[in-house]
Amino acid sequence: MIAATRKRVWWMIVPALVLLVGFLVLPYASIVVMSLRTADTRAVYGEGFTLSHYAQIVTDPFIWGIVGRSLRMGLTVTVVTLLLGYPVAYHLANLRSRWASMLYIFVISPLLVGMVVRTFAWMIILSNNGVINGALKSLGLIERPILLLNTPLGVTIALIHVFLPFVILPLLGNLQAISPDLAAAGRSLGASRLRTFLKVTLPLSLPGIQAGAILVFVLSISAYVTPAMLGGTRGRTMSVLVVQYLVDSFRWPAGAALAIFMSAITLAIIVVYLRLTARAMRRLP
Amino acid sequence: MNGRKTVWDHLFTLLVTAIYLFLMSPILLVVILSFNAGEFLSLPIEGMSLRWFVALFHNTRFLDATLHSLLLAAVAAVVNGVIGTLAAIYVVRFAGPRLANPLRLLMSAPLLVPEILTAIALLFYFFELGVGNNYGLAIQVGHIIVTFPYVFLNVSSALFNFDRSQEEAARSLGAGGWMTFRRVTLPAVKPGLITGCLFAFVISFDIFNISLLLKSVGMNTLPLELFDYLRFNFDPTAAAIATVSIGVTFVAVVIVDRTVGLRSLRF
Repeated sequence: MIAATRKRVWWMIVPALVLLVGFLVLPYASIVVMSLRTADTRAVYGEGFTLSHYAQIVTDPFIWGIVGRSLRMGLTVTVVTLLLGYPVAYHLANLRSRWASMLYIFVISPLLVGMVVRTFAWMIILSNNGVINGALKSLGLIERPILLLNTPLGVTIALIHVFLPFVILPLLGNLQAISPDLAAAGRSLGASRLRTFLKVTLPLSLPGIQAGAILVFVLSISAYVTPAMLGGTRGRTMSVLVVQYLVDSFRWPAGAALAIFMSAITLAIIVVYLRLTARAMRRLP
Repeated sequence: MNGRKTVWDHLFTLLVTAIYLFLMSPILLVVILSFNAGEFLSLPIEGMSLRWFVALFHNTRFLDATLHSLLLAAVAAVVNGVIGTLAAIYVVRFAGPRLANPLRLLMSAPLLVPEILTAIALLFYFFELGVGNNYGLAIQVGHIIVTFPYVFLNVSSALFNFDRSQEEAARSLGAGGWMTFRRVTLPAVKPGLITGCLFAFVISFDIFNISLLLKSVGMNTLPLELFDYLRFNFDPTAAAIATVSIGVTFVAVVIVDRTVGLRSLRF
């Protein structure tokens, strides 16, 4: 019966397929095509195809410097969001009071407030006469403001805030699915609470940690708004550079090659990470 | 639980409270500063005032941007409401085990790829099609694509939790396909549809990268307007723009929380 119905209802999936294939899959192919086109000063691109943009990118130490900075920032953001997000997810998963739903809103609403707004908030906090410098000055701890805006440190702090909910939510789902009986069993067998956590809860939540880490790493590597608004030239990342190629200097083929290069590096890191974590998780009891 | 709280419990509560504050305080800060009577974006504020909001309502650039954003978001929510629901019903109900997983992956793809890359891809693609950024077509398609998974995933999860036998009962009582859909299936997926559409709306309202690269000349969205404003100015007007945007999000969150509950949200 289902097979017969399936033949009659196939049209239901057609609009979505048209949308996703026609306006997502094919456009991604067009980045690859664009990256192989030749540059031209009078038109968007010239005649014929070339690999020269890739050759220029991989031999350019300036670009490798920005790649290195982006990766370092992505790694820092991932580690810190995991360290800050885990306690919150653990707290929310074990909370049985009327506060739970309000705290859940606390976690989820930063996610729904636009990136520009959240980054703007950090401009106010980090600027030379902003909240942090103002507080430190009135406490008499500093005389001249600490430079936070237009530095990699400022971008990193803001990115941690922006992406923190993205580790909390997968971890929360994961921790809620772990039966509380398991921890109770550990406790009743005489294990201390710390030991129960380290031996039972933490290993069982590794899939949540793995998922959250990938999500945040990819998001922070590819973030544009925050480094563009807070980074200046010293905090410039790969995405910012790509958009500069496309919008400011109008070098579409080179920009496309840079975008592909950046995706390839990200993908390679994810593959290695998945291999390593899969091996580590298999060793678990 | 054996109820006695140790020092460690209190330290843990303190730590977690600090992190909750870290999550919320930047947003609260923006809202507070938008009511600042003074000229500066710094604490403490010099009294309460609505002057920056009044200034906004006399600013046509800002009003145009808000309308443009609302329109883009409404179209994205409605279009995805239709095609996302149809796709979810097909994938969950009819696709069969072998087709369902690849389809689900494809339907979630816009969430899995970086938004900036999607924006770049669409920029090139619409250029090659000869449309470019004329007619506001590219930006609208971009908003629809990026928010599509929110409707698809939320409707799918509503369908998973729904007992098929109700549909079969309706069919066996003589209801036709359309009747069954309208009277049984649609009410069942309604919570997922509401959540999905509202979040598609909110996300579209906040989208930046897609809008930056695909906007038509002279047509700014609200986030673009804020971004541009901040390039040359740094005063409470920006906070007022941001507060309007936060307000839109807040209204949507409250509606979802009141009608279907926030926890049903799927990312």
